[in-house]
Amino acid sequence: MTAGIGHNVPRVDARSKVTGEALFTGDLKLAGLLHGKVLRSPYPHALIRRINTDRAALLPGVMTVLTSTDLQDIDPYYGHSIKDRPVLAIDRVRFVGEPLAAVAAQDEITAEQALSLIEVEYEDLPAATTLDEALSEAAPRLHETDTLRPGLFHGLGELHPQGNICYHHAISRGDLAEAFKQSEIIVEQEYTFPAVYQYAMEPHTVIAAWEGKSVTVWASCQHPYLVRAELADLFDMPVANVRIIVPFLGGGFGSKSYTKMEPITVGLARKAGRPVRIANRVDEAMVTTRRHNMRCWMRTGAQADGTLLARDVRFWMDTGAYADNGPRVVATAADAAPGPYRWKSFQIDAYCVYTNRPPAGSYRAFGATHLQWIGESQVDEIARQAGADPVEIRIRNLLRPGEEVRPGGKLLDADLVGDVQKIATALDWGSPKPPDTGRGIGVGLLAAGARPVSTAIVRMEIDGHATILVSSTEMGQGVRTVMSQLASQELALPIDHIKVPGGDTLITPYDRSTGASRSTTLAGMAVHRAAREIRHQLLEIASQAFEVAPGTIELRDGAAWHADQSLSYSELIQFHFGFTGGELIGRGEVSPGGGKGSYAEGPVFWEVCIGGAEVRLNRDTGRLHITRLVSVADVGQAVNPHLVEAQEMGASMQGLGNALFEEMVFDEGQILNGTLLDYHIPTTEDMPDQFISRLAENEDGPGPYGIKGAGEGALAGVPAAIVNALADIGVPVRELPITPERVWRALKDTEGERDDAWGPPSTP
Amino acid sequence: MLRPFEIHEPGTVEEASVLLAQFGFDAAIYAGGTELLLIMKEGLAHFPHLVNIKTIPGLDEIALSTEGDELQIGPLATHWELERSPTVKKHAPLFAEVESQVANTRVRAMGTIGGNLCFAEPHSDPATLLLAWGATLELSSADAQRQLPAADFTLGMFETARQPDEILTRIRLPLLSENTAGAYRKFSTHERPMATVAALLEVKDGMIEHARLAVGSVGPVPIRASEAEGLLRGQGAEEAAFSTAGELAASASDPIDDLHGSAEYKRHLVRVLTTQALEQAAKRAVGAVNEG
Ligand SMILES: Cc1cc2nc3c(=O)[nH]c(=O)nc-3n(C[C@H](O)[C@H](O)[C@H](O)COP(=O)(O)OP(=O)(O)OC[C@H]3O[C@@H](n4cnc5c(N)ncnc54)[C@H](O)[C@@H]3O)c2cc1C
Repeated sequence: MTAGIGHNVPRVDARSKVTGEALFTGDLKLAGLLHGKVLRSPYPHALIRRINTDRAALLPGVMTVLTSTDLQDIDPYYGHSIKDRPVLAIDRVRFVGEPLAAVAAQDEITAEQALSLIEVEYEDLPAATTLDEALSEAAPRLHETDTLRPGLFHGLGELHPQGNICYHHAISRGDLAEAFKQSEIIVEQEYTFPAVYQYAMEPHTVIAAWEGKSVTVWASCQHPYLVRAELADLFDMPVANVRIIVPFLGGGFGSKSYTKMEPITVGLARKAGRPVRIANRVDEAMVTTRRHNMRCWMRTGAQADGTLLARDVRFWMDTGAYADNGPRVVATAADAAPGPYRWKSFQIDAYCVYTNRPPAGSYRAFGATHLQWIGESQVDEIARQAGADPVEIRIRNLLRPGEEVRPGGKLLDADLVGDVQKIATALDWGSPKPPDTGRGIGVGLLAAGARPVSTAIVRMEIDGHATILVSSTEMGQGVRTVMSQLASQELALPIDHIKVPGGDTLITPYDRSTGASRSTTLAGMAVHRAAREIRHQLLEIASQAFEVAPGTIELRDGAAWHADQSLSYSELIQFHFGFTGGELIGRGEVSPGGGKGSYAEGPVFWEVCIGGAEVRLNRDTGRLHITRLVSVADVGQAVNPHLVEAQEMGASMQGLGNALFEEMVFDEGQILNGTLLDYHIPTTEDMPDQFISRLAENEDGPGPYGIKGAGEGALAGVPAAIVNALADIGVPVRELPITPERVWRALKDTEGERDDAWGPPSTP
Repeated sequence: MLRPFEIHEPGTVEEASVLLAQFGFDAAIYAGGTELLLIMKEGLAHFPHLVNIKTIPGLDEIALSTEGDELQIGPLATHWELERSPTVKKHAPLFAEVESQVANTRVRAMGTIGGNLCFAEPHSDPATLLLAWGATLELSSADAQRQLPAADFTLGMFETARQPDEILTRIRLPLLSENTAGAYRKFSTHERPMATVAALLEVKDGMIEHARLAVGSVGPVPIRASEAEGLLRGQGAEEAAFSTAGELAASASDPIDDLHGSAEYKRHLVRVLTTQALEQAAKRAVGAVNEG
């Protein structure tokens, strides 16, 4: 069966995953494979006085011990946005968990034992383990800022680091003072967002095999080509000498964006001369990357009738000891800060701050998740003060398609009003609410797509089967299924005649990354174009074979038809080559073209982040029960509606976790809940009573058939919706997660004084 | 990461006790392993010798005593078995009810009641219930056996009255009298409970004859809220001062600040849960009497 777009095709990898045939990096066996373990700093900030590895190296079974002194022949610094991170700590450790030595041994136990034999002498340094500490005058400096170098993929303008602030991003429009002067309602508050762990079932796993002048790396990474570039840069070799192979990923969510454990693994393999594997444990994954905690101040002004006028935002994101993707997160958060409204004026000041905490990077819907609940709670507060309905006030103020979202870049490409109406309908907005029940909506925009650079190759073999070479990483989102469907549509080929192997930089061509909701839109466009090239070749060959014009030929079910005559693709290819061998090759590419599409100009599209929630409050315990969660996937057109819905559900559940209970708790830079016993991730037991997901298919995206990406928006929409649902019951939220204890405290604080500030409980 | 260890598979309690005596602090009893293997993997403890008591026949039995006055539970009975056992459901339905709320499906399937009690992790549902219930624990070594009230078993966080060569061999639950009913309340935000409350009320002619109330998980060990118990004695079951009892239990409890929450919040939870548990227990007791 051809199963093009719009069909709920079963996942092409479902069978191999449930039977265990699907291979993940950790499943791979290589002859002579060594096991690597990493020695991590117990201090948030300290000088390394001395490292003695002699005893470790002498332990039977230990092949190699690696420290920064083994990397003196290379420039050992890397970092996606800022080259601030040494492969292994040099002279100084900057967070609890920072790698400073690594061991490769014949088995994991020996490697771990060897770690305990490495002697390190530290000299404790004053630490800045919170944003407040890092921003204070007397704060110890994490990095000598005048030496910071931009990373390979910086793309964020000039670096102007100051103190512990490694990046500052500002956007503004209009006369702010004037707009606030005209405002009759002004809401102003401070807010806190916690550090969150992007839990994926498979922690980071890497195997590296050094082969003299080249290296092969099997990695659980989302962006093989970006990792390749950073490794080539680090180890000073042509990019073609670095081969990255990406098997299935057991979840990414941004935790496997950019380079993570690869440099240490390659360093070990280079010294050992044998392949080495490093497999993080969950506690190690938690100090490898996380979501930024943030402090934010926001002020919003409106006319008495609820017409929004002005917004002023300042926020500081804690990127930890190394910038990782922090500057990009900060810039994307700034894009999300105004919210999708028509402002007279806004001003956003966003800061990326170094602290003595583990580095923070990407996590699904970054930036939007941080800011949307704050902005949306202020919109609802204005609605309350203006006596307006939250849905109505949004419809009045929301941007319309074609309007400017922020100065420069893409104009709005979505029907937000329609999306909000869909949410309202799904929530039965306006219908009577049971006691202690509230409803809320959150809508926002996320700059999506990253850089629009993707390429793909489709090979049609002599038997008429096709193989898609594309470097998108299958990490559970279903990208191999989607690519199969896009090719199936264009080639008129049954889906089981199409194969999508994993990314391998030696074979599958360049794709910028798998993240930012970009694969279906951009890599999908490249696949679509590559398939279309083959389609044209097939039509051309068929017109020769049938001796008719190509326009009279139809491609259907793996064959070319002219009237009631048909030739299978296999027959066509044999006809073309005059032989029982040969293949057709189609290539497709996507590029910004004309210099547009840079980060500054972007985004590729605005991803709609929208959610609705109905919550019930237990006033005795402060516990919230989510009775209904709703989302709208504004996808242009759904390639596979079931997959879209699964993405919505996954993002919503993570949004629920971020809103209600996820928080990495630190004490002086040390994580207190560094295991899954103490760090609660959302489970089936946390599911809402009811989950509703609606599709918006307006064919307004930049991908093939008007497709745009999905999968992140609900993660930002859901916390905003839950926060507003709680405010609807009279409980203000200034800090996530909304634990029962925090709700209980808020209830205590508002008891007896449920005054104008937060309005009466809206229960009828 | 799990370091290598030797596993011993005794056939009798005596053999097990001898092994424990022989290896001392180098040995640990291995039941379901849901706690033990976790701390060993985390490197928090290392035991070169594990004594697997699952090879001892009979330690997972659940039966009524020959006199028919108590339920006798083998330490190897898993939470899953206790939740489903027809014998438990019939003679101690409250116990089955509590067991069904312990941990998650995976831990319930592997974890045993004995392991739960002997590990003495402070956030325990069964420990809270058994304290209120007045259960007795049987401890056996190679040459001796003793019976200990549950109240004297848990001494502190991860600390029990069990001697290194002793094995918990039986948990004895006296059957509740016909006019006694109980209820249980727990509150969790993490895997383990943050606060647990068990209440048992004996009601005669509409009056509370006897109240037993235990509060657990908020502090290092579960405690009896005796002041609250005393207050309720002699009060009418349907109009007793349950919320005052809740206050008393809250002030008797000795909560600590930790990742679950602040002491202040836990104290509040104890008040709420105690009141709720007492109200439900009273309803059940009165209902039972009315039906009977
Ligand atoms: C994720 C998770 C969630 C949990 N949630 C809850 C919860 O909600 N409520 C709750 O009450 N509990 C909870 N627990 C605890 C759970 O009940 C225990 O893990 C389980 O019952 C332990 O039994 P086990 O057989 O696995 O013990 P093991 O791990 O085998 O042993 C635990 C300890 O007891 C000792 N031991 C075991 N049996 C005996 C015996 N017969 N005599 C003497 N010593 C013995 C062992 O030497 C060891 O020190 C949770 C645990 C986990 C891991």
